[in-house]
Amino acid sequence: MEKKRADESVQVSAPGRLDRFGFVKQEHNSPSPDGPPKNKSALEYQREQKRVRKWRKMIGVGGSDWKHYVRRKPHVVKRRIRKGIPDCLRGLVWQLISGSRDLLLMNPGVYEVFYSFNFLKSSSIFPSYNLRSYFLLLLLKQLVIYETSASELDIIRDISRTFPSHVFYQQRHGPGQRSLYNVLKAYSVYDREVGYVQGMGYLAGLLLLYMSEEDAFWLVVALLKGAVHAPMEGLYLEGLPLVQQYLFQFDRLMREYMPKLGEHFTEEMINPSMYGSQWFITVFSYSFPFHLALRIWDVFLYEGVKIVFKVGLALLKYCHDDLVKLPFEKLIHALRNFPDDAMNPDTLLPLAYSFKVSKRLEELKQEYEKIHGKVAESKSKQKQLQLA
Amino acid sequence: MAAYRADDDYDYLFKLVLIGDSGVGKSNLLSRFAKNEFNLESKSTIGVEFATRSIRVDDKIVKAQIWDTAGQERYRAITSAYYRGAVGALLVYDTSRHVTFENVERWLKELRAHTDSNIVIMLVGNKADLRHLRAVPTEEAKAFAEKENTYFMETSALEALNVETAFTEVLTQIHHVVSRKALDAGDDPLGLPKGQTINVGSKDDVSAVKKVGCCSA
Repeated sequence: MEKKRADESVQVSAPGRLDRFGFVKQEHNSPSPDGPPKNKSALEYQREQKRVRKWRKMIGVGGSDWKHYVRRKPHVVKRRIRKGIPDCLRGLVWQLISGSRDLLLMNPGVYEVFYSFNFLKSSSIFPSYNLRSYFLLLLLKQLVIYETSASELDIIRDISRTFPSHVFYQQRHGPGQRSLYNVLKAYSVYDREVGYVQGMGYLAGLLLLYMSEEDAFWLVVALLKGAVHAPMEGLYLEGLPLVQQYLFQFDRLMREYMPKLGEHFTEEMINPSMYGSQWFITVFSYSFPFHLALRIWDVFLYEGVKIVFKVGLALLKYCHDDLVKLPFEKLIHALRNFPDDAMNPDTLLPLAYSFKVSKRLEELKQEYEKIHGKVAESKSKQKQLQLA
Repeated sequence: MAAYRADDDYDYLFKLVLIGDSGVGKSNLLSRFAKNEFNLESKSTIGVEFATRSIRVDDKIVKAQIWDTAGQERYRAITSAYYRGAVGALLVYDTSRHVTFENVERWLKELRAHTDSNIVIMLVGNKADLRHLRAVPTEEAKAFAEKENTYFMETSALEALNVETAFTEVLTQIHHVVSRKALDAGDDPLGLPKGQTINVGSKDDVSAVKKVGCCSA
């Protein structure tokens, strides 16, 4: 056996051994359902090009037409996003639909302040940033007294353990690992109450494959602070309150849609935290095939967290007839290793869309709050987002 | 691989938990024990993971159901529910990072607050292969383990050093506890029905152990 630790020296993989997203191919893996199309026919290629042209038209130069288009034809946008955003436009579109682009434009230069915090603290030299606003000055004051330590060490420890099979993150101290560190560190300084929690690296890591550090930072802010949808910081706050609420809601939904499976889970003492925590905490980016994760993220950023519930339900539904027969241990295994055919986005996502959950989710949320009280949101008022 | 396949024909079923700070090697200890694998590119654990393996203890087949938990403090909101019903625990620290050893006391406190007093605990100093980086002397850990009345072993999941021994020791000690309990209760431990599940603690909704045994407290 090779006696080297992962973080000491990892061979950066040769391009031929990578899939089209930059992950090292696993030998035993059969070609994934949506894997690199080997012999794409001319017709398919043309269709793909046509799709990209449609998208470009919809977005406009640098996203200039986007808002107008969304206002005019929201259903067209929704339908197209559900079919998958073209990979070459994904990074830009994600920023547009998540509201992160607006945040970035409203807060110019702020990311640099957060991310240069290390330098600022260690050298006690104030960077020559243009401190345009009082807000920025306040921020800096706050940062200087901020004690780092805990989050920082946790982040460093997890950097090489985030997407370890992706070429961008394999090189020790390479550009990928550095970017990941910067974004997570910046966020932990920006939002001390959340700080850094394991799982956030997968969010940031996924985003960094499609956008710059600064863009990724604001997208994490948009998600956690709720720029477009309900804030998700409760996934990471002390006590993981939103994880608990989501798991409660998911468990109930699952039992309503699949009573037989629900009963089987009760008999076998299967609890949603045994399989569902990572679904919510990392929005399916932790252990699901990347091509599927991307398609889920397309919808997640536009429609919100309910797609996570829908995909979860679809997974259980797809495997329902097998799952109801399995005893405890095999169930646990099956719930963490779904079959390849279930991982095909064009099979799984239409099934996911067939679940209508919005109304029940809201009711179940209220029910949960009756029992457990309202899920706490960040106490700091200062970090409230204002969007144009 | 076949030798490591979980055997459904067992005499006892014990639930174990792996706890300790983030990055001390819990997941690799588990994969080394359950599958004889070590993953150089391991991911940080989000929530909980699960694996099983059956081994022979004395003349019985003992099956271990093992929950591997995320180490970061924030995750205790989820993971502490998995302590309940556990009859054994491996409390892991990293021999090359002293702070992970300092935190053992807190882990122990939390573990004892959530489990039965009969739980078998082993303090495990992992990454013993990093000899040049050692930060926790064996004697220091040993003394602590004696004081706290836990078992102790240094391991290397990477070099497969003592991993088998550590798990086997814990399972053996649990078996002894169970046998004693059965004797105290006037039962013949050898007369337990096949596949009997043992649960020395209380059971709750995330207990992996189904069907509370006759030896339950």
